[in-house]
Amino acid sequence: MADISQESGTKSYAATPDDKAAKHAEAIAHFKKRNKFGLYFWIPMVWLLFVLFCAVFAPLFGLPPADEIDWMYIKEGPNEVHWLGTDSLGRDMLSRIIYGGRVSLTVGFAAPFIGVGLGLILGMIAGYYRGWADEIIGIAIDTWLAIPGLVILLLFSVVFGGSLFMVCFSLGLLFIPTAARITRAATLNYAGREFVLAAKALGASDFRILTKEVFPNIIWPLIAFILIDIPIAIVIEGSLSFLGLSVKAPTPSWGGIIAEGREVLSTSPHIAMYPTLVMFLTVLSFNLVGDAIRRRLADVREGAI
Amino acid sequence: MGEIILDVQNQRTAFATGRGLLQAVEGVSFTLERGKTLGVVGESGSGKSVLSRSIMRLLPGTAITGPGSRVLLNGKDLTGMTEHELRRLRGPEVAIVFQDPMTSLNPVLTIGKQIAEVLVFHMGMSKRAARAKSIELLRAVGLPQPDVRVDQYPHQLSGGMRQRVAIAIAIACEPDLLIADEPTTALDVTVQAEILDLLGRMVRERNMAMILITHDMGVVAGRCDDVAVMYAGRIVEKAPVRELFGNTRMPYTAALLASIPRVTDPPHRKLDAIEGRPPDLINPPPGCPFAPRCRFASAECQQQVPALEGQGAHQYACIKPLNTGVAA
Repeated sequence: MADISQESGTKSYAATPDDKAAKHAEAIAHFKKRNKFGLYFWIPMVWLLFVLFCAVFAPLFGLPPADEIDWMYIKEGPNEVHWLGTDSLGRDMLSRIIYGGRVSLTVGFAAPFIGVGLGLILGMIAGYYRGWADEIIGIAIDTWLAIPGLVILLLFSVVFGGSLFMVCFSLGLLFIPTAARITRAATLNYAGREFVLAAKALGASDFRILTKEVFPNIIWPLIAFILIDIPIAIVIEGSLSFLGLSVKAPTPSWGGIIAEGREVLSTSPHIAMYPTLVMFLTVLSFNLVGDAIRRRLADVREGAI
Repeated sequence: MGEIILDVQNQRTAFATGRGLLQAVEGVSFTLERGKTLGVVGESGSGKSVLSRSIMRLLPGTAITGPGSRVLLNGKDLTGMTEHELRRLRGPEVAIVFQDPMTSLNPVLTIGKQIAEVLVFHMGMSKRAARAKSIELLRAVGLPQPDVRVDQYPHQLSGGMRQRVAIAIAIACEPDLLIADEPTTALDVTVQAEILDLLGRMVRERNMAMILITHDMGVVAGRCDDVAVMYAGRIVEKAPVRELFGNTRMPYTAALLASIPRVTDPPHRKLDAIEGRPPDLINPPPGCPFAPRCRFASAECQQQVPALEGQGAHQYACIKPLNTGVAA
């Protein structure tokens, strides 16, 4: 039992208004502190912006083209001509990593958006209309999940070739089932709410209800889902390159450069090491930034309800 | 006689359930004139809300409407209308205010957006005009600082304010018929009167017709022209409000009135509750649905369902009515 007698003297339990105000301020301060984006957010954010900047403005840096061979430097370590050295064909590593970042980041962003976009449509239809639409979509998703992802990617790569768009699209397909399930559950939750009935009572069509009433409510879990998926997509793209299922050589991507460097790992470890390091830092940064944003979103949602 | 806004004829609504057909509304008929308010009173499960949704054709997929049912709104039969045709009526001709403003407003949209959306959709207003009109509507429903509130979210408003917003949305397109489905049940007692006064004022100012659904006899007393008492999906007594309170005929209505606690009662007086429960609507007993709970019931009452009849405006479904001056 807590001792709440007044004898301890210093503390009176009849809170004065000043006490209350102070407590309130303290609570707000604590809340703000918990919400503040600290160094765990800003350091990775700076790195991500740097990588993004390099990828977007790559042609402006005066780098040699990513597939230009410099016969003077083959498998060289970092030097004054090639800052990060050259690979086994004498191509500039810095240029390859930066141009490779374009591919990796494009896949990292596009695949989750494609997957969540398609999953959103399916999930909303299933969750809102229920009945046979729900059943068919449910069976389709279960079937889709039963096929190993690698087989799907292999199939797309063989049939449609390794264009950047097809890599994004086929990877995006892998995100559909989870996105559809999250959307369906969230839609179910909101479709039965009275404000949906109220919208119907004011003459809103199903499409209007889904886009104007339900969608603004379910957007947050999906944004959180996309934040988780971006680093995953980057890693999967890396693995695909390793298997030769991503964009075709000589177009560089981080995973592709690592795969090439693997063959000469014992003699020229820098070729595999630099892209690995860049990819590691980028994925870690996405995870840290994503966590911070999701925590903030969760707080915002709690506050709203 | 004023202009007839709503004419409900033999409305029957049933729900398909696992145990069988649940007859929620059973042969309800009434008319409502412009400028008038009809109070619909009954306990939980008496079919009040299903009736309101039947009028608006807002029933879930499991609902079945009886073949002879007709709902005429401004002379147009809603019964055979397609969903598309109904959408054009909902808002400009009929609107509803729900019980709980916590749930009937979208939590993630500002209230201004929620009002403006209706105006843009039905009235074809521009966004700018709709916003101006929204502020005007919020002022009309007595929301303080409407130009600030218009950009706020529902959680920033109190329950009473939210219900004012819900009313503003409902009257935005100047409907001819407003259905208020227990509009004050979820609200603080002190706010209830304000909201009811507001609804009454809107009906007068905009010359609408209103159906006020409630389980509270006190609510209908001062604010309705006519009152219909519902029990087990039927209207069991219908009369102008003074007549109903002054000359109650149906024992169920009398029992409802007797169960209201009075301020003048001594403290700790036991409430006059109505014994028993409402009948099972899937397998209703034969005869008057209230007979099993009625103090005056006799064997005759169990024979067949009494029809709603009576002289003039006062109608009741009872073969042994009270206050006849002959027997009691």
